[in-house]
Amino acid sequence: MMKISIGPVLFEWGRSALKDFYRRMAFETPADLLYLGEVVCSKRNRLTPEELTELAKELMPSGKEIVFSTLGLVMDDREQTEVQQLCDRAQALGIRLEANDMAGVGIGEGHALVAGPHVNVYNPDTLTFLQGIGVERMVFPVELPCDAMTGIIRAPREQSVEFEVFAHGRLPLTFSARCYTARAFRLSKANCQYKCGDFPDGMITRTQEGEGLLSMNGVQTMSERVCTLIQETTRLEEMGAHILRISPQSTHMPEIVAIWKARLEGRMAGPEALARLGELNQGEPFCNGYFHNKPGMHYVQPSNLTP
Amino acid sequence: MKKVEVLAPAGNLPSLRAAVDNGADAVYFGFRDATNARNFEGLNFSEKEAAQGIQYARQRGVKANVVLNTFPRVDNPAPWYHAVDVAARLGADAIILANLAVLKYCRERYPELPIHLSVQASASNAQAIRFYQRHFNIARVILPRVLTAPEIRLLHEKTDVELEVFAFGGLCVMAEGRCHLSSFVTGVSPNIEGVCSPARAVRFENHGDKLQTRLGGALIAEYEKGEDAAYPTICKGRFQANGRVYHVMEEPGSLNILEILPQVIEAGVASLKIEGRQRTKSYVGTVTRILRQAVDAYHHSPGTYRAKGSWLKELNASSEGTTHTLGTYEESWQ
Repeated sequence: MMKISIGPVLFEWGRSALKDFYRRMAFETPADLLYLGEVVCSKRNRLTPEELTELAKELMPSGKEIVFSTLGLVMDDREQTEVQQLCDRAQALGIRLEANDMAGVGIGEGHALVAGPHVNVYNPDTLTFLQGIGVERMVFPVELPCDAMTGIIRAPREQSVEFEVFAHGRLPLTFSARCYTARAFRLSKANCQYKCGDFPDGMITRTQEGEGLLSMNGVQTMSERVCTLIQETTRLEEMGAHILRISPQSTHMPEIVAIWKARLEGRMAGPEALARLGELNQGEPFCNGYFHNKPGMHYVQPSNLTP
Repeated sequence: MKKVEVLAPAGNLPSLRAAVDNGADAVYFGFRDATNARNFEGLNFSEKEAAQGIQYARQRGVKANVVLNTFPRVDNPAPWYHAVDVAARLGADAIILANLAVLKYCRERYPELPIHLSVQASASNAQAIRFYQRHFNIARVILPRVLTAPEIRLLHEKTDVELEVFAFGGLCVMAEGRCHLSSFVTGVSPNIEGVCSPARAVRFENHGDKLQTRLGGALIAEYEKGEDAAYPTICKGRFQANGRVYHVMEEPGSLNILEILPQVIEAGVASLKIEGRQRTKSYVGTVTRILRQAVDAYHHSPGTYRAKGSWLKELNASSEGTTHTLGTYEESWQ
């Protein structure tokens, strides 16, 4: 059966909320893997590599696989040093490192790596190269449709590798050097006053017609709509995905994980699972267009729904 | 000090000639398919045109770089490998690559062909650059538009590759090669299809006194009559956030570094790149000529260099929008 992972928290929730969140995910949900680490902004009041190590040790008795995730856009020396420290810690703990930038790939070369969703793997040859330097699992770029993912999974390869799909949550669409949350307050990144901490699921951005479009999360731009592939679980399984990622949001995470688990175990039909998730999402529309080779913001009703 | 290179775009042969004739040290162009990130209708080079372009440049002492900066498709990767073969056969001075698999192919097959790492590969730090050097012996890296001038200087001190930076043209405000905004609203991925915000997804609609621009159906901006309407891209759109309507990410306008040219050159860059393979030959000619003059003026007398008002005026007239920005080279932009 496909496993469920909890992705790295992409928002600025503060250190104690982060720790509490992961404790709950570890001991109160049926998720199988937990990704820890700051992926978005190194200015944030994040957990240091040392604190992440302590947290990982605390969570390990849950039996879940712990992975450390690296920063998505690495620029200065301090950030590179931190990626190095995270890599060293992961190695000492005997856990994998999710690289989200080529600095992470370069520093982690030779160690047990996960190529995160921010590393561009669009074809099997790229994955083969990455396997040669230590990649044991890849998380597909969020924009890849089902057929492209299937093509990569089914390509012939000498060594097996795991495939993880971003299955639920606001889509991480891009990074910038500029902080859009600070900009919304007419502040520069250098003097951001940690405004992103006021937006636990990002700052909603709508078109002038009121259509929800994006969610600004500091230097990261995300989808306003929550992406869910809850109705695509059969195709995901047929495709050969091993792990489905649920990206953290500030509310209802245990319930969301429980619904996904029930769906994967066949205890809940797709339409019911979607309806339940919809209630938790306050009736706001979801998106899943990327999976169906359509614009990512669209929601496509799957034609071959299986109960 | 080694003189910094002026590198000009060419969407077709007339533009290539305009670049060469107006003083470019090097030109770059791509083939007419999805293997490069300006895969627009009627643009780019056939194999024959590429041969002619390289010859025209070489006879005048100008280098010709071939761009292959998208990611091979799962279902049909062959055109990317084929394009490497063609670029090598035609004797390109360098090949600009983004994808790990294509980099590997090129390095193994054509060890003598200099590789420039595309901006689409998003190497924004010394560790990433060393990774690409270690595996593919890249000669140059084209830096993503995320670094300030002082950060570029530090990077230059910590690496031993040539650095190429964008000096003028359209401004990506996101980390290049890692932006899904276009595919999010249009379904067309720049990384896969080589097009951002394709024309077929764009609509200009008149509503009384207002002009609306749309991309993939989403309203990007609304203009009063007589206002200049920018080509709609998500990153330059006017949206509602935090209780107001504004350019949430960036205003339309062009990058222009002439005012800080000395800082950028002294940061240690080897090449100044002009964006705009999709632009006209007159744009290419004008921008190349002015950047040539500016670079010559700087090298003639670095201490007294100042951007001339006439240059800025002429460049603003060739810009998208009529404003320009120093972009991320200045920390306050971030």
